[in-house]
Amino acid sequence: MRHSSRLVVAFYMILAVLAGKTSGAQAASRLPGELVWAIGSDPKTFDPAQVDDQWSELVRYVTSGVLVRFNRLTQTVEPQLAESWTLSADGKTVTFKLRPGLRFSDGSGLTSRDAAWSIRHALLPASHAVVAEEFLSPGGVTVETPDLRTVIVHLPGRVIGIGKVFDEIAIEPANRPSQGRVTAGPFVVAEYRRLQYVRLRRNPYYYGRDAAGNSLPYASGIRLDILQDQEMQIRLFLRGEYDLINNLPPDYFELLKQKDSSSVRDLGPSLNTEQMWFNQAPESPLPGWEKSWFQSRAFRVAVSQAIHRDDLARIAYQGHATPAYTFISPANAAWYDRSVNAPHTDLAAARAGLADAGFHLSGNQLEDRENHPVKFSILTNAGNDARLKMATLIQQDLTALGMQINVVTLDFPALIERLMHTQDYEACLLGLANVDPDPNVMMNLWLSSSPNHQWNPSEKVPATPWEAEIDRLMKQQASSLKQAQRKIAMDRVQQIVADEQPFIYLVYPNVLLAVSPRLQGVQPAVLDPRLAWNVERLRLEGGR
Amino acid sequence: MKFNLVAAWLLMGVVLIAAAIVAAPGASYSKQDRLLPLAGATIHHWAGTDALGRDRLVRVAAALLLSLGGALAAAAVTTAAAAGVGTLAAFGPRGLGWIALLICDVFLALPWLFLLMMVRSALPLTTSPANSAAITFLVLAALGWPACARAVYRGAVDLKRSEWMLHARAEGLRDGQLIRYVIPSLVPLLLPQFLICIPAFIVAEANLGALGLGVGEPLPSWGGMLLELDNSALLFQTPWVYLPVILLVIVLLLLEAIPAEA
Repeated sequence: MRHSSRLVVAFYMILAVLAGKTSGAQAASRLPGELVWAIGSDPKTFDPAQVDDQWSELVRYVTSGVLVRFNRLTQTVEPQLAESWTLSADGKTVTFKLRPGLRFSDGSGLTSRDAAWSIRHALLPASHAVVAEEFLSPGGVTVETPDLRTVIVHLPGRVIGIGKVFDEIAIEPANRPSQGRVTAGPFVVAEYRRLQYVRLRRNPYYYGRDAAGNSLPYASGIRLDILQDQEMQIRLFLRGEYDLINNLPPDYFELLKQKDSSSVRDLGPSLNTEQMWFNQAPESPLPGWEKSWFQSRAFRVAVSQAIHRDDLARIAYQGHATPAYTFISPANAAWYDRSVNAPHTDLAAARAGLADAGFHLSGNQLEDRENHPVKFSILTNAGNDARLKMATLIQQDLTALGMQINVVTLDFPALIERLMHTQDYEACLLGLANVDPDPNVMMNLWLSSSPNHQWNPSEKVPATPWEAEIDRLMKQQASSLKQAQRKIAMDRVQQIVADEQPFIYLVYPNVLLAVSPRLQGVQPAVLDPRLAWNVERLRLEGGR
Repeated sequence: MKFNLVAAWLLMGVVLIAAAIVAAPGASYSKQDRLLPLAGATIHHWAGTDALGRDRLVRVAAALLLSLGGALAAAAVTTAAAAGVGTLAAFGPRGLGWIALLICDVFLALPWLFLLMMVRSALPLTTSPANSAAITFLVLAALGWPACARAVYRGAVDLKRSEWMLHARAEGLRDGQLIRYVIPSLVPLLLPQFLICIPAFIVAEANLGALGLGVGEPLPSWGGMLLELDNSALLFQTPWVYLPVILLVIVLLLLEAIPAEA
């Protein structure tokens, strides 16, 4: 008896850990006609002007009425609350003409004054709105309203892709910001229970109608359950509790496919990239010889040539990723350059390149010119299974060159501390989520003066001629009036990056989605919010 | 032959078989067979492969040796520390006992999660996987003793008030002389503490991995393998992911049985 009680304790401890993540469940029952899916954490804010996280952005997207909407499927800007909009020839004046008879969700009228107030509110420094930065000089923007249906925005200078910028400005009642409870979009925030769910209800005054003249949205509401556990999310989806999963892990894709192949979609490469890079910052606390390795183009190219990207895609992502060689994904048809000549897997070339750069083998260990063994660590964030697998695969790939690699996982705050502040790391493997196909949004990554220029942040002057050239080309594309000139500049940037390998691109993870067979009106898009981009047209079979 | 001896031989056999599997020519816990990720049992991989195509049997065997060795060592340190502190608190001078228990309570109240994260972020990134594993089990031992010491203290106090102890004192034995009889008397209490610590440390090591503090790749960790069971997609693909938990149960049963009739 005594023995069995001891064992019960031991078994219980094991089972408790194994079953630990199965606790928690959907927090409320589904209302008639309501769509339900999960989000990873509580939205930080419901104030549309202050959105800076993924889940707040989703709530803003499905609740806000905007003057124009960037169509995630066609990747074009379309009128929404504005029935038309025009951009002056010099690119400095944007004129919107509002639809007649617009109303907010509380029934009050929506006029150009509300639109002007919302734009000004978003541009105020006190609002700390992320969108303000996209106007380049928000302080110089003026808004006028010659009549109740016309809004004219004067910009101090041309802004690339200005139409898309207005996709992020929710039109709210003037002087009555409501945290999403009074909106001109398809839904309004009805209820929020921290750590449980956000409930949205249909806006009865939404302007949208379908081709048959029926009012939109179709669904009576949306419940967004706050649930971090992906395992639980999958189970609830399989039980029919959830209608969609916007970001399905590759392992579970195959599981759901086996159960019902019609419930999963692989849309191919996303705009996101997974990459590794070496710390090239001169002020980092690394030994001088390591800095010289990482600053050597031959070293970086050899590492790139030793990596089997096909294996990374096939093993770490179970085939649901695409090998990457440049920072623009093939999903971004307008900017992807098929002619980029990037280093592909070639061990012989890698060995030859290292030998030319003074590296040599001592037994199985690669050493530099001064006989320092080539050993370094690859840092990545803990909890990301695919990244850990990629780092472990790369660890073996680089063993073929005689390099000794230590794979280290750290929690995100500790990792960011090393990347952004102490710069005490050798190589890092992380991903970059691209929400916008226009490469202009990557300015903060490529300009050498930027703190997000990861391999060598905040350079006072470009450290190398090729970084200076990237700076020049990025600024050139940002100010060019002609799309063709912008494309030429970006193609050149892609080639420089391929030649110099400051980032060694690994894979583009595919967009993997799960959709309930009961959900109708689905038109999956690669861009966020993927399945929810046409939320006003989604409905459950048998629903309204 | 007594059952406990059979259990001891069986455990020794398991460890020897694990050592033989790891030491077998061509066996490698880190070599990736990239054409066969998550494969079933084959002539080359008797228990199939893991998600990176590494031989599951070799990895489980190596993990058994590493995690069991680490957890046993950490459990031994924890139990010894708990025995020392608990006995000292019960039999030592009153002030010293009070301080010892206060230290226990302070340890129990500390936000260990944050301290662990600080420890990991302070470690050099070049710390080898083997050193990282050693540090992990050392940290676990440092964390495990206070709760255990509290239990030992309770048992030691009961012992101090027992009849034979009163008789011994009446016969003129001092507390210092009694100590050598106290520890053997506490064995029935210490043994379960020791045994409970082993699976707890194995599982805790796996959870520390989520903080980046654990056994680093490519070294296999038993706890890490147990966590694979949390992924229903993986369970669906291969039943061999159950191997570590089956082995853990067997090892625990044997550990349990060895001292049972001693």
